Amino acid sequence: MTEILLQTRDLSKHFGGLKAVDQVNLEINTGEILGLLGPNGAGKTVCFNLISGVYRPTRGEIQFRGRRIDGLPSHLVARRGIGRTFQIVKPFASLTVLENVLVARGITRYGRFGRLWSPWKARSEVTAGMAMLERVGLADLAHRKAGLLPLGNLRRLEIARALVVGHQLILLDESFSGLRHEEIARLEDLIRRIREEGITVLLIEHNMRVTMELCDRIVVLDHGRKIAQGEPRAIQENEQVIEAYLGRGGGRHAA
Amino acid sequence: MNAYLITIGTLIVIYAITVYGLNVIVGYAGQISLGHAAFFGIGAYSAALLSTKAGLSFWQALPIVIVLSGLIGMLLGLPSLRLKEDFLAITTIGINFIVEALFLYIPFFGGALGIGGIPRVALFGIKLKGLAFFLLCLSFLAIVMVICWWFTRSWSGVACFALREDESAAASMGISPVRFKLLAFVIGTMMAGLGGALYAHYMRFISATDFSFPMSITFLSMIVLGGMGTLWGPLLGAVLLGILPELFRPLVDYRILFYTTLLLVMIRFQPGGLLGEGSLLRKWLVLKPAGVRV
Repeated sequence: MTEILLQTRDLSKHFGGLKAVDQVNLEINTGEILGLLGPNGAGKTVCFNLISGVYRPTRGEIQFRGRRIDGLPSHLVARRGIGRTFQIVKPFASLTVLENVLVARGITRYGRFGRLWSPWKARSEVTAGMAMLERVGLADLAHRKAGLLPLGNLRRLEIARALVVGHQLILLDESFSGLRHEEIARLEDLIRRIREEGITVLLIEHNMRVTMELCDRIVVLDHGRKIAQGEPRAIQENEQVIEAYLGRGGGRHAA
Repeated sequence: MNAYLITIGTLIVIYAITVYGLNVIVGYAGQISLGHAAFFGIGAYSAALLSTKAGLSFWQALPIVIVLSGLIGMLLGLPSLRLKEDFLAITTIGINFIVEALFLYIPFFGGALGIGGIPRVALFGIKLKGLAFFLLCLSFLAIVMVICWWFTRSWSGVACFALREDESAAASMGISPVRFKLLAFVIGTMMAGLGGALYAHYMRFISATDFSFPMSITFLSMIVLGGMGTLWGPLLGAVLLGILPELFRPLVDYRILFYTTLLLVMIRFQPGGLLGEGSLLRKWLVLKPAGVRV
């Protein structure tokens, strides 16, 4: 049984004459890991930023759980239950790892003036925050300053924050880039576990091997347009995809 | 206690109250403001006018003064806080100059002559002066510090910290950048308004030059010196920069040169201020970093 969690129709973002994203239709089913693939400049991150409210679409609409979210600013999209990470990590550097997660736990309060004045380090919050760190494997670093963490751990920290916000859907923007082999393997495990817990994942990835192993379905973008979608195996053999990545005639050498 | 010390002490406490307001804006929410003296002035002028022209007592006027300062802070903050960093700094400088010019050129505000004859603060029919007024200011400072302490422990405080660290990451966690910057700005300008009201009733004569741009620089120097975003830093900064010109009289003429040099030296060698995290003084005192204990 597949149920559509998030859907874009005709989604477009133009920067002047540049069509960064052009008439893209996406469907993310509940409980799947959907990969967004494409060469540099294909419009993947712009797509993310449209969904998460950083940009306002030029045209088209986005529906999340049946309600339109296009045009909403980031903080309101987040409050609907979509968590995200950033391609260039953005930790709250002078706060500790635990505090970073606690910031995300305030999501139910930031919209209500009356709920802003109680202590943010209440015992119940700290316990819940520690449980989340446990889940992503950062519990032993809870009291370390986030700014001092190596990249791999920062990526986990961002995923932890995104999980607090996005109890339904998380968007991972190149969470694997710049990581060592063993870190990649551990992160893959984490993402699989997240999916098993019932959370839908949309990820952008450059690493082909990771994408093919991890994703249930893949959507390929090139020059802002969707050129293919389907299961990993089908994508691997898709002529247009090979052409986008390797150029015309490249497929022969790749095969 | 001798009158001279009480005079200096009272001014330091009034400045400290104002500087705690600036600390909420700059230290907690990370929004640079180089025009804080304008809001100090708005507090002072509205208190002066309400007591001399409308005949209200200090206590009747105070809530109006604080609300008015916050309201004007909100009006000016709404467009300004959409700007970032250098642009915000320049805009706030502009606010300072415009507010000062309005005080100076509009006859209602007393023009170049300023406003005189502001009555002393009375409590239970007794006029407060000297030590009594100093203690009154000190109790207001205590209230302001408790509010700051509470703010850093509350969700609104942590939302501001997150904004200071990274705006887009904060927004991705449901924090509205405009709303929380504005909240910090309004709290900060209200504190400046309180400081201004006390200043007006203490000096009993005010003029536009008391609230000019160099005063804003002084306020900023106080928090940079003491430790931005810390609980005790602004007080330490206000005390040190309040006492120094008294100890070295010739310094008064070179105040701005001294403050700017101080700012450069602090930012180069102790960017967190004297009481900032990892600062020499804090290491020496072996204090735990403020607000990060769990």
